[in-house]
Formats: sequence, C-alpha cells, structure tokens
Amino acid sequence: MLTGKQLIEDLHCRFAKEISRSEEETPGKVFITIKPKALIPLADYVINTCGFRFLVNVGSDEVHLNGHYVISFIFSLDKEKLFLCVRVPVDPAEPFIDSITPLISGANWAEREVRDMIGVHPKNHPDPRRLILADDWPDGVYPLRKDFPYNHRPASQIENRVKLAPPPQGAKVVPIGPFFPVLEEPAYFKVFVEGEKIVGCDYRGFYSHRGIEKMGDDVLTYNQICFIAERICGICGFTHSTCYCEAVEEAAQIEVPARAHHIRTILLELERIHSHLLWLGIAGHIIGFDTVLMQSWRIREPVMWLCEQMTGNRKTYGMNLIGGVRRDIPKAMHPKMNETLDHMEKELKALVDAVLGDSSLHARLKNVGVITKKEALDKCVVGPVARGSGVNIDSRRDHPYAAYDKLSFEVPVHEEGGCWSRTLVRLEELFEAIKIVRQALRDMPDGEIMGHVEEIPPNKEAVVVVEAPRGEAVHYILTGSENRPYRWKVRAPTYPNLQSVPSMIENEEIADIPIAIGSLDPCFSCTERMVVVDHKTDKKGLNGQDLLRLSRDKTERIRKKNYRDNHHV
Amino acid sequence: MILSKLKEVWICLKAGRVTLSYPFKPALAPDGFRGKPEIEQDKCVGCGGCANVCPSRAIVITDLNSDWRRIDFYLERCTYCGRCEEVCPENAITMTQEYETATDSKEDLHMSVEVYMGTCGRCGRCFTPKHPLDKLMTTGLRGQ
Repeated sequence: MLTGKQLIEDLHCRFAKEISRSEEETPGKVFITIKPKALIPLADYVINTCGFRFLVNVGSDEVHLNGHYVISFIFSLDKEKLFLCVRVPVDPAEPFIDSITPLISGANWAEREVRDMIGVHPKNHPDPRRLILADDWPDGVYPLRKDFPYNHRPASQIENRVKLAPPPQGAKVVPIGPFFPVLEEPAYFKVFVEGEKIVGCDYRGFYSHRGIEKMGDDVLTYNQICFIAERICGICGFTHSTCYCEAVEEAAQIEVPARAHHIRTILLELERIHSHLLWLGIAGHIIGFDTVLMQSWRIREPVMWLCEQMTGNRKTYGMNLIGGVRRDIPKAMHPKMNETLDHMEKELKALVDAVLGDSSLHARLKNVGVITKKEALDKCVVGPVARGSGVNIDSRRDHPYAAYDKLSFEVPVHEEGGCWSRTLVRLEELFEAIKIVRQALRDMPDGEIMGHVEEIPPNKEAVVVVEAPRGEAVHYILTGSENRPYRWKVRAPTYPNLQSVPSMIENEEIADIPIAIGSLDPCFSCTERMVVVDHKTDKKGLNGQDLLRLSRDKTERIRKKNYRDNHHV
Repeated sequence: MILSKLKEVWICLKAGRVTLSYPFKPALAPDGFRGKPEIEQDKCVGCGGCANVCPSRAIVITDLNSDWRRIDFYLERCTYCGRCEEVCPENAITMTQEYETATDSKEDLHMSVEVYMGTCGRCGRCFTPKHPLDKLMTTGLRGQ
C-alpha cells in the first residue's frame, strides 16, 4: 500500500535536488514541482517502475503569477487511489520541454495540444504536427496565453494546412470524413488500403474546437461554467458539469451535503443508462441491424422522460452548481422512479437475451477492431474500451467521487479486446447502473442539497476524474481571483480512445471501419459499378457479380467459424 | 440462432407502435419543465441579478439615462437553465411549459422590460431603490 506521503518521500529520495515543492492537500492527490531536466527520468520512474497511468498534461500560462509557463503532467495509480501531478515550470524565453511521448504514446496528443495552445514545444516528439488549431491559424499565435484576448480573430494563413501522411508504397487512399454520415461530428480518417485490407491510417480532427476553456478562463464566472461544461458533450454532459463542480469544490475545500452527492450519483447513472442504450442502438444501426436501434431507443425513452421530470429537461439537466445541486428529488417521486427502473430492466433483459444470441451480431462484432491489453495500456485508453481489453480501471471505484464510496457495484471486465467484448462490458454496465440508482435512492440521506459557499480562494489546484459512459473525464482547476478559474482544463474520454483508432483498424477490412470506430455508416460506392485492380499485378480482377459472390462466400465462412467456436466443434 | 430471431420478433410485436401523434395531438411538458421564460414587467425592480448569472449572456442591461433601465432578453441565446428564475428576488421571471419556440422571425424571441429606477446621488447612474417605500412610490411609473 502506497500513500501520498510515502510517494513524496520516495520521489524526494530519488530526485531530491530536482524537486522544488511537494504537497498533498487533499489525501491521495500529490502535487510536485520539478526542474525541467528531471522530467524524463521522473516520468520513466513513475510510469515504468511504479506503474502510474498517464492521464493528460495541462499547459498554463502563469507568467503573471510566477514568471513561467507551467506544464502539469497528471498521472494516476489506480490501485492505490493516487494522483500525481508533476508541475514543470518552463522559462518563457526558452519555451521547450522534453517530450514523454517516446516513453508512453498516450501523451502524443496532449503534448501537441500544449504546443498549439501555450507554445511550449515538445523536444523529440515523434509527430510534432499541428493538432488542435485550425488549418489557417497563423504560426506563433497561442490562444491560451493570457495576453491573447478571448475575442481576437487573427488573420488567416492558409499555407499552414496540416500535411497528412502519404500512403505507403502500393497502397491506395480511402478518405473517411471529414463529414460523417452517421456521427454528427466532423473528423477525417485518411485510410490506406491494399485491396480490402487496411494497412494504415492518418487522422485530422478538432474541426469543432470551440475554445470553451478560454471562455472559462476569461469570460464566465464559476457558477456560469457549470452550464457551459454541461454542453461539452451532448450525451454525457452531466458528467462534465459534475467533474467541474467537484474540482472547484475540492480546490476551495467546499463541503457538499451528502444528499446532493446522492442526487448527482443518481443522475450520473441515469445518464450512463441512456448513453449505453443510445450506443447500443447506433451500433445496431451501423451494422444494418435496425431492430436493435428501434428497440433499445424505445427502452431508452422512459429514462429520458424520467430525467425530464426530475430536472426540468431531458438532456441538459442544469442541476449542478458549485456546492451542490439545484433541485431535490422528493420522496413522492421515488415510487415512480423505481417503477420505471423495474420496467426498463425487464425490457432490457429480454432485449439483451435476444440480441446476444443473434448470429449476425456475432459475425459483425467478434474479432473486429481488437485492441490488445498492451496497446490499451500504451495508448492510455479509458472506459469500456479499456475494460473491454482487460484493463481493470473504473474511476467510480478507483477514485470515488459523489456518493460512489458508499455504494457497492461490480466493474465488468472482458479480456478479448474487440467490438464484441466492448459491447458486453456496456451491456453489463447497464444492469450495474440500474443497481446503483436503486441503492442511491434507497440510501438517500435527508438534509440540504446546497452547501455553504464562500469566496473561492485563488491559486488552489485540483484534479478530479469522473467516469463518463465513454470513460473517465478529467478536469483540472487552478483557481483565480476574479470569481473565475485561472486555468480550467478538460480532457474528455474520447481524447485518449480516439488515439487508438489507427492501430485498432490496422489489418481489418474497410467494411469493419464503421463499427470499429463505432459510429460510421458504411456508405460506399455501389459495388456494381466498382472495379477492383490488383495493384501488385495491375490486372483487372473482379466485376460486380464476382464481388457479390466473394462477399457471400465470406459471410458463409464467418458464420461457419462462429458456429464452430460457439459449439466447440 | 433462430430462437433469438423469434425472440426479437416477439419483442417488436409486443411493443407495437410507441410513437406519439404529435404535432397532431399536443404533447404537454411535465411539471417543472424549464421552457420559454416569461417576464412580468410590473414585478421587475431592475436589479440585474438575472443578467449577472446568465451563462449564455442572453440577458443584457442598458441604462438609457439616469432614470430608466432597459433589460433585454434575447431568447435565441437562451439555454433554458432557469438561473434567472432562481435568483430573481421579486419572482418576476417564470420558466413556462412552452417549448414550441421555433419561428421565422428573430423578433419573436426578443423581450424587453423598461424599469424606472432611482438615481444615484453620487455617480448619477441608475440605482435600484432599496427601501420598500421607495419601491411603492415608483410602482405607478413603471412600465410607461
């Protein structure tokens, strides 16, 4: 058992000269400040020897506070319930920092983001291209620096367009995106194929970067950010507002009443239920199995109505404020909630029972989009993606927030790492979520729903993670003096998960990309009019009829293989 | 395999048709729903609390002169969080059940309230009458 105090002592023993400050104000959350040259050995030690997991790094312009840009690397040791936040001050005259991406590839995007937003360049980064900023954003203009006004629009510089990788020798390019047929979000996957087989992929995204963090740091006040945080995600919005509120409450040491914690937990779990049901429906729709879509969304709707009755809106609940929640769940509503849950559980059981035995689901999901446990750890994936690859992490259990420390629940984990095991994890989590809501309703303590909030002190730091349906959301707060944070950093769960897409779809076939990415409609050109050319022999091979025959043969092969697997023949 | 197909058929048949016949029949929002806010002009004292808490800055305060203050509600920006209703000391704002706010004219989403205010003796700007008696005295003038 490693405590925060022991960790500080241990690090002091090894890196005594390099650590200038270390503190643990909240138990389990260790903040240390080190000299830049100690970053690589320290990161190597905490990742490879202690087993810490990389979450994110936060760049913040603290020139007005201490004369430096400060890059905070946040790590988590889940089994010991520990967070380690390593603050590295960087001299503004020489804005460079060693890259830790060669040590842990999950840090790739986070380091590029810091370079884009703050202008601290990672040295020895394997892929130092632009990530967040728009293609025509001018060089040398860093929007999250404090001297950059929030409403400034720099002149366009179109020549800064990010150059995507060329296809490997002999491979062809299949562009997927930037406009998605299913997912209402833009992203561009440049997929390299040899025939049907995917040999590589490059990515450009962040087309809908909205500068929410800058708004929080420069314009809004503490209690206004709760509502914009809720709009970070259209489905798991309440997760983000809870995560933000808990971070501010932890930084300012505000005591939140137990009843408010229970209400937050109930809403978080209801959100997980409707999010997983939504996902199940969309997954069914992607593979052309619309019965799943219709029925899971039918089951989902009463949950939405329940949320509407409890909070005043079916999705953006607007329930959180710093210090508690805005609406109570009165006793009179409990029977109705329990009734909805019972009914939904019954319907869900029937649906899950039916679809899990369905051979077309098996054929499309099994052994598709596999992420091995090793890759999952290296890419630092989170949530059902990690748990579907055998990485047993769940911040509800590992870093309890709201009322989760008072509730008992299981964390489903599957080892196979493919789409099928991720589906199983989500389905099992649905039943766990129903269990949690029931428990939280039953054990809900009486009392206030809003704590006493005084002036929030400046220069306090906090990191809080909240398990969203898609994985953990991370919010970092450095409190400021004008009734707003000095720095508010959000890391959404898809941020690490999306980084695993290239390795996930490699060696798969084109038709598996949609379900592997989990959100794409397979809308390719009509096969009848397509001609396949074998690039190695340059010979025209197949016409539409041949393709149809090949496709049917393959379906038959998969069906037989699954039959053999299921019946252990 | 065939069994699960049969189960799926049974689930679909049992559920039947679940969609509502909205908009041909009205669908009422539940109690406590946060719909289009309604402002009672006569109650407003022009304190500006609503504009202060509004996360989307849909509420804008303009001091027309040293006596008159105008409060504009631009509902196309409104996120229906209901914070204005919560902080209003006079309960002048109510979130209604109204959710059919689609319109082809932006003007339909604009409301404004003009309030007669006391004048600050020092800076000459609009100033909320603090004393209930002051408020009573100005009531007749409000909304002109």
